[in-house]
Amino acid sequence: MSENKMNRRSFLQASTVLGVGSVVGASALLASCKDGNALVPLKNPGEFYVPELPDMAIDGRELKVGVIGCGGRGSGAVKDLLAAANNIKVVALGDVFADRMGGLQRDLNKNHGQNIPDDKCFLGFEAYKQVVDAGVDMVILATPPAFRPVHFQYATQKGKHSFMEKPIAVDAKGYRTIMASAKQAQAKNLSVVTGTQRHHERRYVEANKQIQAGLIGEITGGNVYWNQSMLWYRNRQQEWSDMEWMIRDWVNWTWLSGDHIVEQHVHNIDVFLWMSGYKVAKATGFGSRQRRVTGDQYDNFSIDFEMENGVHLHSMCRQIDGCSNAVGEIIYGTKGVYSSFDNTIKDLKGNVLWKYDDEAAKAEFKQHNPYVLEHVDWVNHIRKGTMHDEATECAISSLAGVMGRESAYTGRTITWDEMSKSDMDLMPAKLELGDMDMESYKVAVPGKTR
Amino acid sequence: MSEKKKNKKLIFLGALAIVVAGFSLIIAFNWAWDKSSLNDSCMSCHYHTDADINWKQSVHYNSQSGTKTDCAACHLPPRGTMDYTKAKLSAGVKDVWSYLTKDKEDINWDAKGELEYARKIVYNESCEACHVNIYPEGISDEGVTAHLYYDDNKASGDQHCINCHLDAGHYNPNYKHAALTEAPKGSGVVYEAAAEVTSFENYVETVPGTSAAISMIAIPGGEFEMGSPESEPFHEADEAPQRRVEVSRFFMGEMEVTWDQFWAFYGETMSEGRTPPMVIYANNSREDVDAVSGPTPPFGFPDQGWGMGDRPAITMTHYSAETFCQWLSLKTGKKYRLPTEAEWEYAARGGTTGAYFFEGKPKKYSNEGFWNGLFGADTAYINSYAIYVNNSQSRTQEPSLVQANPFGLKNMLGNVMEYCSDWYAEDAYSQLSDGAKDPKGPEFGTEHVVRGGNYTSDAAELRCAARSHTQHDEWLRTDPQNPKSIWWYSDIKGIGFRVVCEVPEGI
Repeated sequence: MSENKMNRRSFLQASTVLGVGSVVGASALLASCKDGNALVPLKNPGEFYVPELPDMAIDGRELKVGVIGCGGRGSGAVKDLLAAANNIKVVALGDVFADRMGGLQRDLNKNHGQNIPDDKCFLGFEAYKQVVDAGVDMVILATPPAFRPVHFQYATQKGKHSFMEKPIAVDAKGYRTIMASAKQAQAKNLSVVTGTQRHHERRYVEANKQIQAGLIGEITGGNVYWNQSMLWYRNRQQEWSDMEWMIRDWVNWTWLSGDHIVEQHVHNIDVFLWMSGYKVAKATGFGSRQRRVTGDQYDNFSIDFEMENGVHLHSMCRQIDGCSNAVGEIIYGTKGVYSSFDNTIKDLKGNVLWKYDDEAAKAEFKQHNPYVLEHVDWVNHIRKGTMHDEATECAISSLAGVMGRESAYTGRTITWDEMSKSDMDLMPAKLELGDMDMESYKVAVPGKTR
Repeated sequence: MSEKKKNKKLIFLGALAIVVAGFSLIIAFNWAWDKSSLNDSCMSCHYHTDADINWKQSVHYNSQSGTKTDCAACHLPPRGTMDYTKAKLSAGVKDVWSYLTKDKEDINWDAKGELEYARKIVYNESCEACHVNIYPEGISDEGVTAHLYYDDNKASGDQHCINCHLDAGHYNPNYKHAALTEAPKGSGVVYEAAAEVTSFENYVETVPGTSAAISMIAIPGGEFEMGSPESEPFHEADEAPQRRVEVSRFFMGEMEVTWDQFWAFYGETMSEGRTPPMVIYANNSREDVDAVSGPTPPFGFPDQGWGMGDRPAITMTHYSAETFCQWLSLKTGKKYRLPTEAEWEYAARGGTTGAYFFEGKPKKYSNEGFWNGLFGADTAYINSYAIYVNNSQSRTQEPSLVQANPFGLKNMLGNVMEYCSDWYAEDAYSQLSDGAKDPKGPEFGTEHVVRGGNYTSDAAELRCAARSHTQHDEWLRTDPQNPKSIWWYSDIKGIGFRVVCEVPEGI
């Protein structure tokens, strides 16, 4: 959601008040007389967010950034930020593991000319507070997702701009924390970007413009996929405590990652919700654990999402070796079909109505990496002082993923109202690198798990 | 000066005068328009000291930031909107009319503070005009949950800020934005054994292990005309055709089940919050059940801050009332249940055949009608027998305030509506044959019969024959839980029940 986004209804109200409604209505009527196939926009330009995606962010005052979570994604994100904008200074790091933090500290020093002194490298579960309070303007939140809500809450309280890696919630409590903090961030004019980078990927942004212009008509359904080979895991090492093992192996534990339907597949669910503007009402699905090695997660899900207006979205995701792989989205409309697999929109006879023009884009821009472009947009909002909120949309998509997961885990249909109000809170009571009640982490059994 | 010039000058002066007069009028009107929305203006007619004082005690005056929120900020839609103009004009007309025709001492300000009325004179849009961020820093997770629910559902029109924040504008020491933590304790006497019933006479049931005592009246069997003739004022279609019905003898609670009695049940059977309804239904419907699963903790204080003790227990669901009877039967070894609709009306009439069991005609007592509307309804007699809109002070009252009917039963009419065991059907009496014995109502249905009217009812709804029914979904409209409670209603207050006991064999 952003400052210039206006929903369809409020636009209609406003335009009616202005007396514009009748003019617009009349011209639409005239247009349809001339041409029976005139496009009816889902949203008019200005009613939906279109990021400006120059190769680099605008220049401006120095921005100080802190990184919370120095693993693969945190390290990647800070380097993407440095590629996206000039005059960025990394001033503080935080992590629970000295080796991961030390690695990033040395890398930034050696390869990026960023010298972070040892006393600005904070260790432990409370390190996020020290990073936020270390004089930063902005923070990259890239720990395992379970911790995201409290980190965002704190950063927002302290008036910092956040970049949050997705997903941003793994349970209902986290969802609510994000939603409330997002409202506070809006009030404080903060810029918040989330790692659902398709929102900053040129081919998706262009496709969305076509869809909103009405090229596929009213949206009637969708299929979204993230089927891939097995993801990484870490075997336990002798010197590791239960907690240390879990966090180092986090993509295999539901309380940390949300399971792969939330952790990874949220991207694709999010694309459908983003482009359709529909709200999820119910999820019914199944999944299982076939060949995952560690943790308590499943490795495949198949979910039927029902929207408030009755439209269905089918979602499937898998992390198993030796199977057919596919990652992408298909959206059906009354007049055509959009596919992100070949970046086309076809009419219902299969004729190509639109195709993303890769060559033209390459001629116009140098930077095409969405992981960099999302930081360009983030910094631009900060430097221009314009409020930007992606947290609300990403929290809703994350909770939709959680609904899918819970419907598969329990074997029941899960409603949005039930999920969003649920007291589900997966965070352990005690956060320390010590023993955990490992017996309580069991693989869910549909029909039995509640 | 030429005639022409003089004319021009006159025209100019005249035009100027009109413009000046116009502006003056606009300024004067604007002044009056604004002035009439100031507190002083409101309070010049709304002379109700309590409301002024408790406004000053509320968070909208006694606020952390030191700002005060004026009458019109909540009681009118946001300024500058068409709704504001409309509401202000209609309120103005109403106020002038009341000023000219009513005695302000007679206005029941307490009643206007109850949610049902308050919802009409407080505007969500006005709340939101100031409270632009309903997720302020430091808000609790419960607050976030409730506000997300509000945001998700406000389009449906069911959600109102004051459903939860009723005391935001006028402090009420009895209204707590909190929940009951445990069942209130009874008198302290603990009964060891249930009453022994050896003859068909009134008795007092004593519930073992609790301090609950229930006074039971022996109701002799007999015949009566169920329903009302078309000639009865305020007669409704569902009260016809009248049928001759025979009812066997039974015992009936002298009063509606009281809070003391209900808390004894709750204290012994309380289910943990969020116990799934299926688990409870499964347990309670077992043939060999020896301990019933009772209500989950209510949201807030179900007595509405009106007091507990002997006041009737309210806001429980029909299932909750039935489970009470199941519990009472298990505890005492007798057969307690809700009355059938026929038993209820037979008992309420107490052998009389008129509209009420006391003297007087519905047209005299009802506030309906031009004459009574203007000059007030008669309250002789009815005042001593029933708690209803004209004497209730907008809340339930203790049974000691009213006299019993010919059978010795109190509050059959008024105070709270009472559950019957029958399903409701508008044509239930057509389905009956004359001379039916102990009818139990239609076999299937979706809503249950409720009888007797309540503290908000007009005298017309208090007639012995007047029928009503539950409105399950409507009465749960604002319950934010999912699934919604099977024990407590969120949107009805004047509902309760009384028990009957079947006569043991051999008596």
